[in-house]
Amino acid sequence: MNAIILSAILGVILMFSGIFVTSKTAIRNIATAGMALLLLVNIAEQGGFHLFNVNTHNMLVFSKFGLLFNSIAFSATLLFFLVSAKDITNVGINAAEYFALIFFISCGIAIVSSFNSLLLLFLGIEIISIPLYILTGSDKRNLKSNEASLKYFLMGSFSTGIMLLGIALVYGAKASFSMEQMHSSINAGRNAWFYAGLLLVLISMLFKVSAAPFHFWTPDVYDGAPTVFTSFMATIVKAGVFIALVRLFDMSFVGSGYDWQLIIAIVTAATLFIGNITAIFQQSVKRMLAYSSIAQAGFMLFGVFSQNDFSREGIILYTLGYSLATIGIFAVLIKMKDYTFEGFNGLARTEPVLAATTTIFLLSLAGIPLTIGFFAKYFMLASAVKSGSHLWLVIFAILCAAISVYYYFRVIQSMYFKTGLAETEPVTPVFRWLLAGMAAAVIILGIFPNLVLQYLYF
Amino acid sequence: MNLFFLQNAVSASSAVNYLPIALQVLCAAGFVALTLGISPFLGPNRKTAEKLETYESGIHSVGNARQPVAIKYFLVAILFVLFDVEVIFFYPYAVNFRELGWNGFLAVLMFVGFFVCGFYYIIKKGALQWED
Amino acid sequence: MPINLYIFVALALFCIGVIGVLTRRNAIIIFMCIELMLNAVNLLLVAFSKMHLAEMGSAAPALANNGTDAQLFVFFIMVVAAAEVTVGLAIIVMMYRNTHSVDVNFLNRLKN
Repeated sequence: MNAIILSAILGVILMFSGIFVTSKTAIRNIATAGMALLLLVNIAEQGGFHLFNVNTHNMLVFSKFGLLFNSIAFSATLLFFLVSAKDITNVGINAAEYFALIFFISCGIAIVSSFNSLLLLFLGIEIISIPLYILTGSDKRNLKSNEASLKYFLMGSFSTGIMLLGIALVYGAKASFSMEQMHSSINAGRNAWFYAGLLLVLISMLFKVSAAPFHFWTPDVYDGAPTVFTSFMATIVKAGVFIALVRLFDMSFVGSGYDWQLIIAIVTAATLFIGNITAIFQQSVKRMLAYSSIAQAGFMLFGVFSQNDFSREGIILYTLGYSLATIGIFAVLIKMKDYTFEGFNGLARTEPVLAATTTIFLLSLAGIPLTIGFFAKYFMLASAVKSGSHLWLVIFAILCAAISVYYYFRVIQSMYFKTGLAETEPVTPVFRWLLAGMAAAVIILGIFPNLVLQYLYF
Repeated sequence: MNLFFLQNAVSASSAVNYLPIALQVLCAAGFVALTLGISPFLGPNRKTAEKLETYESGIHSVGNARQPVAIKYFLVAILFVLFDVEVIFFYPYAVNFRELGWNGFLAVLMFVGFFVCGFYYIIKKGALQWED
Repeated sequence: MPINLYIFVALALFCIGVIGVLTRRNAIIIFMCIELMLNAVNLLLVAFSKMHLAEMGSAAPALANNGTDAQLFVFFIMVVAAAEVTVGLAIIVMMYRNTHSVDVNFLNRLKN
């Protein structure tokens, strides 16, 4: 509860600091300090310290899993602020409002990681989506940004409509929005409503996490949005919606006697295949990362597929590893003058620190051992093996991971083995140190994943 | 005969409940059709160019109605939609505010507080200023 | 009236909305069709709420809020829809200022 209330208040504070504070540096500092405070308060709640005592009538349930996820999402956002706060304020004139919207999105993430009622699921998803439509279109004079935002808005609200129809049908069958009533016995004639409703909710959630065949909006929107916000959208927000999906499945489909695993298996295979194959043919690194984020979503879907202890550990690790690596790569990408693969030619000579850290992040995304990406993928696949059905999916995923090595290594190849003069914006020493710290975290957590996972259990 | 009294029809549960509404619709439509149909025959009928002209509230119409409206109006309209719809949350509170007591009152006060914050924000941002 | 009729009306409205979104090319009309979908869901929720009230209201009055939670859900849908209208219209106006058109067929700059 701490995180939900505090993030909303911080959002309002940031809104008003846009009126009363004129210096952009001060706004950056307020936002970063606010996010650090949010993280601290959430960690305090993990330790059993509650700032606010609100009777939520069992609509919100705070589990260790959800709170740990909140902490990871907030620390990823804090890192995101530290490395790219300057680029956020440079997007347009309303610097403080961008931060305010990010705080509201954090509020939405904290809601979906602890919802216990379909009403709160709907509200959380909407609180995440609506600020994102604005952030996507925040580069007002850029036609690509406008187009991406309109596309995202129309598709997003369409999928909201589908989700609402699903919720209404589930309510018709169960007479309650509470997740605890999902397994109550119902009038046999209404089973069809229940399953149809759950499938509609599932479709709309798959749309929000950009799983195939509902992925078509992702490359366009990620490409058109300002690069800083693409970084935020592709990592923290996507992981947040994944947590909602995992929790929804855990509490509704599992044990309902419906063969949902086959549906998820097919969706996972399609997502992995489409994401990886299309990423190979891209010429722009930004667009390649958009497709790669679809492919990574395929791996995260294993967390929905297996639903056991391994998958819960896996999705926590995956969120952390994927967010760290992708935020790092995007932070470097923002500094590049040219977003194509050729733009990276010879980066190792002009900016050796940037090139080295980018290499580590790319290795982590590809899942090479000694990085956190390896353990994340390992836990996901192990969970699927443990759940025991559809083993062909595991083999298919390993093949796709092998394909992904090709396009990640293409960037490394142009940085180290091609001649050219990669042009970058001026880079401060602090930025270099932060990137080096993130790369070190990727490697340290890749050797000792238990540093994070222990918090799941005590 | 009970059929024509709405309060008696509520307790029953069938399509017959809607008969009073159907009757009401029929009466309304019939009255309009009757008055419009009969009026040309009752009064004298002299058509002059002046009379056939389009006018609105006695004023001659000027220009095309489908012209662009100033964008300032758009902003005010959008803000109206937002603040108008928020009021819907007072309705459930108003229905049982006695049962909710002081806790409910504090909750509504908090809601209004956030509301006022938003209002103050749009005033400070100059969204309601008409003159540049 | 039987609940089936309400469900048919709501689903028909919803399908009209879906077909409108898929076939129309004007951003504002697509947007209106999305609103139609949301309002169809509102109708469905209210109908279900009355149905559950009739079924269990007399049997166990304390149970499950007598179906009023669906009516509250409708309020939330309305407010969220209003927020979406605000953001959506602002996006469409921003688009119109730059391209002088609200036709979604113009949205092909990102396809390359």
